[in-house]
Amino acid sequence: MLILLPVLNAQGVISNFTINLWGKYLSYALLAISVDMLWGYTGLLSLGQALFFSLGGYMHGMYLMRMIGTLGQYQQPIPDFLVFLGWKELPSFWVPFSSFPFAFGMVLLVPGIVAGIFGYFAFRSRIKGVYFSILTQALTYAASIMFFRNNLLLGGNNGFTDFKFILGFDILSAGTQRGLYIATGVTLLGVYALCRWLSRTKFGLVQRAIRDGENRVLFSGYAAADYKLFVFVFSALIASVAGALYVPQVGIINPGEMIPAKSLEAVVWVAVGGRGTLLGPILGAVAINMLKSWTTRAYPDMWLLILGGLFILVVVFLPGGLVSLPQRLKPVWTRIRGWFGQSSSTAPTE
Amino acid sequence: MKFIHIIPRLLIYAGAVLAFQPLSAQSAKETVIEAMLAANDREKREIIGELAGDGDPVIAELFDAWKADELFIYTTSEGDRVPVRVPGGRDAFETAEPYSLLTDAPLVDAAGAAVMPTRDNLDRVRHNNRLRRAMKEVLDLIDLGSPDPAKRLQAVQTIGFSRDLEKLPILQKRLTVEKDSNVHQATRQSIALLQLSQDDLAVKIAAVKEMEAIHSLSGYDALLAVQSEAQQAKQPELVAAATKALAAIDRHRSVVDFVGTIFRGLSLGSILLVVALGLAITFGLMGVINMAHGEMIAVGAYTTYLVQNVFGAGVVIPAFGLSVSIPGMNLEGWAYSLYFIAAIPLSFIMAALVGIALERGIIQFLYRRPLESLLATWGVSLVLQQVFRLMFGANNVQVSSPAYLSGNWTVADIVFGWNRVFVIGFAVLIVFGVWLALNKTSLGLLIRAVMQNRGMASHMGVRTTRVNMLTFGLGSGLAGLAGAFLSQIGNVGPSLGQSYIVDSFMVVVVGGVGNILGTVISAFGIGGIDQVLQQYLPAWAPGLGWVPLFGSFLQNLAQDSSVFGKILVLAFIILFLQWRPAGIFATRGRQLED
Repeated sequence: MLILLPVLNAQGVISNFTINLWGKYLSYALLAISVDMLWGYTGLLSLGQALFFSLGGYMHGMYLMRMIGTLGQYQQPIPDFLVFLGWKELPSFWVPFSSFPFAFGMVLLVPGIVAGIFGYFAFRSRIKGVYFSILTQALTYAASIMFFRNNLLLGGNNGFTDFKFILGFDILSAGTQRGLYIATGVTLLGVYALCRWLSRTKFGLVQRAIRDGENRVLFSGYAAADYKLFVFVFSALIASVAGALYVPQVGIINPGEMIPAKSLEAVVWVAVGGRGTLLGPILGAVAINMLKSWTTRAYPDMWLLILGGLFILVVVFLPGGLVSLPQRLKPVWTRIRGWFGQSSSTAPTE
Repeated sequence: MKFIHIIPRLLIYAGAVLAFQPLSAQSAKETVIEAMLAANDREKREIIGELAGDGDPVIAELFDAWKADELFIYTTSEGDRVPVRVPGGRDAFETAEPYSLLTDAPLVDAAGAAVMPTRDNLDRVRHNNRLRRAMKEVLDLIDLGSPDPAKRLQAVQTIGFSRDLEKLPILQKRLTVEKDSNVHQATRQSIALLQLSQDDLAVKIAAVKEMEAIHSLSGYDALLAVQSEAQQAKQPELVAAATKALAAIDRHRSVVDFVGTIFRGLSLGSILLVVALGLAITFGLMGVINMAHGEMIAVGAYTTYLVQNVFGAGVVIPAFGLSVSIPGMNLEGWAYSLYFIAAIPLSFIMAALVGIALERGIIQFLYRRPLESLLATWGVSLVLQQVFRLMFGANNVQVSSPAYLSGNWTVADIVFGWNRVFVIGFAVLIVFGVWLALNKTSLGLLIRAVMQNRGMASHMGVRTTRVNMLTFGLGSGLAGLAGAFLSQIGNVGPSLGQSYIVDSFMVVVVGGVGNILGTVISAFGIGGIDQVLQQYLPAWAPGLGWVPLFGSFLQNLAQDSSVFGKILVLAFIILFLQWRPAGIFATRGRQLED
């Protein structure tokens, strides 16, 4: 798929729109993996992954905003919204973002620091379970109301949009979008391989042990807090990179990506796909977003009903998600096969 | 409870009636008639001038008639002059009947026969520019004597800032008859303000002292100006008086701010408490993370909206493409404003029913999986939000406040909104109610037993499923009650619940799960801190400059006190949970894992 889609796109069989859409799905799949590393493998239901996702997006967005140069509405060397707020020159923290390596560093550094500080405090005082979920949600909520303000000098309500160039390439051209798709795909593969390797090491074992019985892990002499902090920061980084890849493909980042509901949506992908597996989240993210693209076009009023209903059904009746479906259907399948066997054999001998 | 708040209102109306007294023994109408009959223009103007500050609406009516050439003098055969009004003036002589202003009855001659108006028997009361100007001056001041204290207040304040010294005697005259304490105070302040712009030094100093005595907040700028003028003019006494008055006003202002902050903190705390109390039961006692709690609040708010419309003109709901029409009772006035009292129990019942359905349908499968109850109820919340949108539209719906909940009450410059006072009282009431229900009823006993140990209670013969259902219904019903109240304070729309869900979880978590008292303390604590930050952050903002790197950034952000305050509160909460991970009151148990 990673190779097939871009080739077909270059041949003109698949539209640019489809490539773009799939690029978006793959960035969501990355976000879903980050949720799953926390929730599926470590038992920490974080409702703050959307925050790290958008932080990454914002950091990359700042670079893209700088690349607009003087091509904005006001033809000024600073971003339009700053002109609108009455700024004559760039605020100091904006200046270094014209360098891509710096912006990329920030994509890793800022969410990493936020996650590190929050995680340090949260895990040190052994906040867990529901409390952890509620606190991460509060953190995201606080950040979103902050990003909605113009005073933060990060675009307020409207966020960043109207990007023109990335690394010197025209961001809207088919070639660039194809490149971004490939980059997202490669990152997804890399992260998948890394997480798969990690989950098979001793580290992964401890991780799952924390999920299943944290106190026993503690009593066995492991510093559970350090493990959790590592996973938390690691997931934040995955989410952040996902956000950074998402922004140039979608062409906009605003605080709407940060509201608590977005984190929960990512949790749905994982739940539907199958938590505690690595393929599940990818499957869930892609499947649900395909469903969403279709429903919001065909029946816009029904999307929330479907999403909500799906959530309830999966949680109550299919805790293992889509991935567990074959396993669960096995008995049904054998029974069906049994029926056929019964009907075909003329003399049941039992 | 609801009627108590009507009483101060009635008292104020009574006060207004008492305050509305004519300035002289003569009624306003008699004065106008006297002016009509007066011999010459100068005399007429003087008599009209006496009406300044009188609020009788008849003045405006008669002046308008005068200017429209509708007033005439009829001279009887005995030579008596009778003031007469002919609606429509001379053009209507054929059709209109003249009536006497003295008796308000149709004009009759000595024999009792109706008088037909003609050009010969009626003399028009003339008016000229100067007379009209005199009338306008009176009309400008008519609000001063209005029976509505709010109008009087406004008029008095306008004059105070007009710097028109000619109005001074009128204000002084009003001061003697004004009974409403707020208007009285405003009148004193306006007199002092007018006196400040006089040249006489002694009068000025007296005015400054007066302002000091009444702690005039709105006179602050005027005092500053006087102070600097006096410094230039080398008038040390005036400077000293002004400085002293300014200091006194500053002190008064900080007291007003402080008390106002406490009041706002209390009312915000009450709102949080009302909103979180239901959650304290479903989350705190039952351990169900009900993310649809916010939507239960919205159910209550929409129920209030429906009840309001049933009491009023009815409503058509375009639910799911069908339009359901609910007829209204078309009540008005008093009976209509009772809708809110009917809405309170109904919103409780509605939300409780939805809650029970939710418990039976979904939550009963998830008691052992708290994290998953979070996810499933979030799904429910999405569905409910969309259902609201499909039923009531995506926009906010209008819920009007009954008269006894709108308006406010100003004591010594501190404004107390009645809906805020009400919500504080209501919070006290329902906390007490919940405490009674949990501690003094048999259902409460069962609830506590089941929540402490489901298995054991079940073995003792308690029907746990039924208790679970009722407990969840109670918690949801309380959310519905909160919704009824929020409809009076904020907007009612499909996403109403979303704006409170994070706050209410914070309150319960900080309070300590399973503890109603903790919830109360944490609600008021969070509300208080939030309001204190909002009040004082802008003043502290410049002090944030020392922070390395982020100094100017923080200063900038702190100006946005409501948002920054909220963020700081969340930060405090996270730090607080460091110190007490289980909230203010932790439930102690011997179990390692729950």
